[in-house]
Amino acid sequence: MATQSARTSAGQRTIPWVWISRIGIVIFFVLFLLVPLIGVVQEMIANPQLLARQLIIGLTNGAYIALIAMGYTLVYGIVEMINFAHGEVYMIGAFLALTLVGIFDLTEKTPYSIRVPMLLLILVITMFCTAMLNVAIERLAYRRLRNASKLAPLISAIGVSFVLQNAGLLWGYLRFPAMHGIMGNNAVAPKSFPSLLPNDNILEGLTAVFGENFKIRLAGKDLIVVIVSVSLLIALYLFIQRTKLGKAMRATAQDRSAAELMGIDVNRTISLAFLLGGAMAGAAGLLVGLYNGTAVFTMGFTAGLRSFTAAVLGGIGNIAGAMLGGLLIGLISALSDQYLSAKWTNAVVFGILVIILVFRPMGLLGEEGGQKA
Amino acid sequence: MNKTTRAWLTGGIFGGLIALISGGLVGFLAGIIAGMVTGLLVAKHVVQRTPMEGFRRGAQNGLIAGMFVLVGQLLRGLLINPIIDPHHAGLHAVYTAALGGLVLSGLVAGLFGAVNTLPAPRNRAWSVGLIVLLVLAYPWLDQLLELRFMNEIIPVIVFVLMALGLNIVVGYAGLLDLGYAAFFAIGAYTTGLLASPHLGVNMSIWIAIWISAAVAAIFGLILGAPTLPLRGDYLAIVTLGFGEIVPIAVNNLDKLNINILGYNVVKDFDLTGGSKGLNPIGRPWLPFIGEFRADSPIPWYYLILIIMAFSIFFIMRLRDSRIGRAWMAMREDELAASSMGIDIVRTKLMAFSMGATFSGFAGAFYGSYISAIFPSSFAFDVSVMLLCMVILGGMGNITGVIVGGLIIQLADRLFLPQLSQLVQKLFEKSDIAVLKELNFASDFRVLLFGLTLVIMMNIRPEGLLPSADVRAELHSGDDDDAVVATGVKQTV
Repeated sequence: MATQSARTSAGQRTIPWVWISRIGIVIFFVLFLLVPLIGVVQEMIANPQLLARQLIIGLTNGAYIALIAMGYTLVYGIVEMINFAHGEVYMIGAFLALTLVGIFDLTEKTPYSIRVPMLLLILVITMFCTAMLNVAIERLAYRRLRNASKLAPLISAIGVSFVLQNAGLLWGYLRFPAMHGIMGNNAVAPKSFPSLLPNDNILEGLTAVFGENFKIRLAGKDLIVVIVSVSLLIALYLFIQRTKLGKAMRATAQDRSAAELMGIDVNRTISLAFLLGGAMAGAAGLLVGLYNGTAVFTMGFTAGLRSFTAAVLGGIGNIAGAMLGGLLIGLISALSDQYLSAKWTNAVVFGILVIILVFRPMGLLGEEGGQKA
Repeated sequence: MNKTTRAWLTGGIFGGLIALISGGLVGFLAGIIAGMVTGLLVAKHVVQRTPMEGFRRGAQNGLIAGMFVLVGQLLRGLLINPIIDPHHAGLHAVYTAALGGLVLSGLVAGLFGAVNTLPAPRNRAWSVGLIVLLVLAYPWLDQLLELRFMNEIIPVIVFVLMALGLNIVVGYAGLLDLGYAAFFAIGAYTTGLLASPHLGVNMSIWIAIWISAAVAAIFGLILGAPTLPLRGDYLAIVTLGFGEIVPIAVNNLDKLNINILGYNVVKDFDLTGGSKGLNPIGRPWLPFIGEFRADSPIPWYYLILIIMAFSIFFIMRLRDSRIGRAWMAMREDELAASSMGIDIVRTKLMAFSMGATFSGFAGAFYGSYISAIFPSSFAFDVSVMLLCMVILGGMGNITGVIVGGLIIQLADRLFLPQLSQLVQKLFEKSDIAVLKELNFASDFRVLLFGLTLVIMMNIRPEGLLPSADVRAELHSGDDDDAVVATGVKQTV
């Protein structure tokens, strides 16, 4: 904004480039998004059952996106860096969970009395390992750059994300007998999880009561993913709002040097933010693996960008905002998958990201003037 | 470590590894490279008085570096080759290449050492002249030594050209662009549409290449404009978004339907060929040479060298011009620059569009060279690879970017595939299934970029050959935040 005042004070008549660009973007999106949207709305009304199913998928997607978005928002809130590698931590979480499922030899035939405690154990192990991984990444790749220019940690994070992605690729080559062949024969191909979550329609009874017109599919696994994610999110929220460590995190986010003067160990607080984010990403990795039934080493990039978009949409640094943003992005991507075409979904999400960053960088729930970019 | 020791160690490790991995007659080339690196480094650090003394000094160190080449070549020829291919004898060639590498390394290093003792402006000119001579003579060397690297070298130079363009945006103007491959795609697709039978335009490539560069520049403006209010990492993410949208769009615009108020204006129009891409793209034609052909890379090589030379000249002039100085001022401090009367909007947009021009140019050439383009060649890893090239060599320094680009690209296109072949052959008969299956070229490629970025950022953020300004700026940052820094250190 300094540029504008400098130019007006010089008394020149200048072209308002920023506004021209904004109007251009609006025209572009009206043509390419709103015009097709009219058709989409017609389609939605024509088949409400399909719409309901997509909304359910969107909710579950939103739940895990919100989990990953926590990592972005916590880290950005405290150290003001985009942890680009966070999506890959989630991918490593999914691979770790898959490996553990293989080692414990869980299959569709395992009785629920064994399956449930085993899955909970896997959840805990995965969360612990990804949390440690995230802390280690911060220690090795970001800590030295904390006082460098803002781009240095971002570039380093991109480097870490590539290293992790490559690690995920090489992970596919691990074929120990103890893993019961869960990695398949092709290292690069997507790996498949056994379907361990119940996939029966819970709302079957409703169809019987209300007739064929009320045929909505809500599988047990939809519910489980949402319940687990939401309880983790609530736990995290309470941790940050109610505990002393959470208070330290909030204080550090507000003013690092002041927090330091008050006797808060800043390094430990930053590590804690990475730890919590990593744990959430690991949980998301397990949940998505079980829900979608596949894991592939490239999944981190897309999920990471969707989650980052969610965090920015909600207002980066804002925990509740990231939850809301995750939900919205989940819904939007599910609807775009169904009504637009799955191949355009990434472009839609990126378009949203660009629009928010250009028009409202503080996000939906962020405070006015809180632009940290 | 002593500067001289570092010189011959660097040259020797480069040459030795090349000889070890490639084997065969590559030993000669490895010797030349080892000698060049050693000679240049020695000449840079040690002052000699007479050309004779310089030659002796260079040759001594070049010979030490040459020993690495000799050892690498002998290891390959006497130990590894018998395992890979027991029937192939050819010991004669091994000794010739090993000794040849040693002698050439000494000779080349001596030459560079001698040239450097000339008075100040001339030593630089002569060093550059020697390198240019080597580059110009390369096709002849390639044929003589039966290397067949030409088809890989040309894309390498195209990517180095793009890295130079990215250097304008990242190095000079300080705007981190993570979607630079998008402009490459735009240039390549513009050429693809104009100079191929796809739309039936079939324009001459000589015209199409300029139009492509112009279209890329316009897209640079269009995509740069929304990012004007943004700074730092948000800017990077928005450019990343554009960089992803362009390949997605290109991939999906093969069945374009446009409905306006119910009227189907365009129905199933195939604009970009989808994932199949566009081909065949036209090739350049010149009198005396005729149409450039895929099987004779030499005209392509000299064409891209000419483009490269013009680009380097142009970028150097641009750097020292008013706009170039404005970029650097903006990089150092945007607020201060704008207070000094620099129009930030114009300067930023110029950086984006100038950077995009080079990428569009490179894309047009590349499309014409491989005669086909696919959306998959413009993915995010291309942008990151280019960023790697800029950062490894040193942001804001033309020589650095060229060196960094050559290292990354040659490693990616020649070194890793050859290493992969070597390892696969070595473990062909072993029982470890994984080692046979591993493909070093594709399985470790991304790791190389990632590690380069992390290590460079943490250990030497100014790059291998930094420009003086960038180095000063990167190290002055430590003092600015001294209060916070010392505070943090106390609690560790």
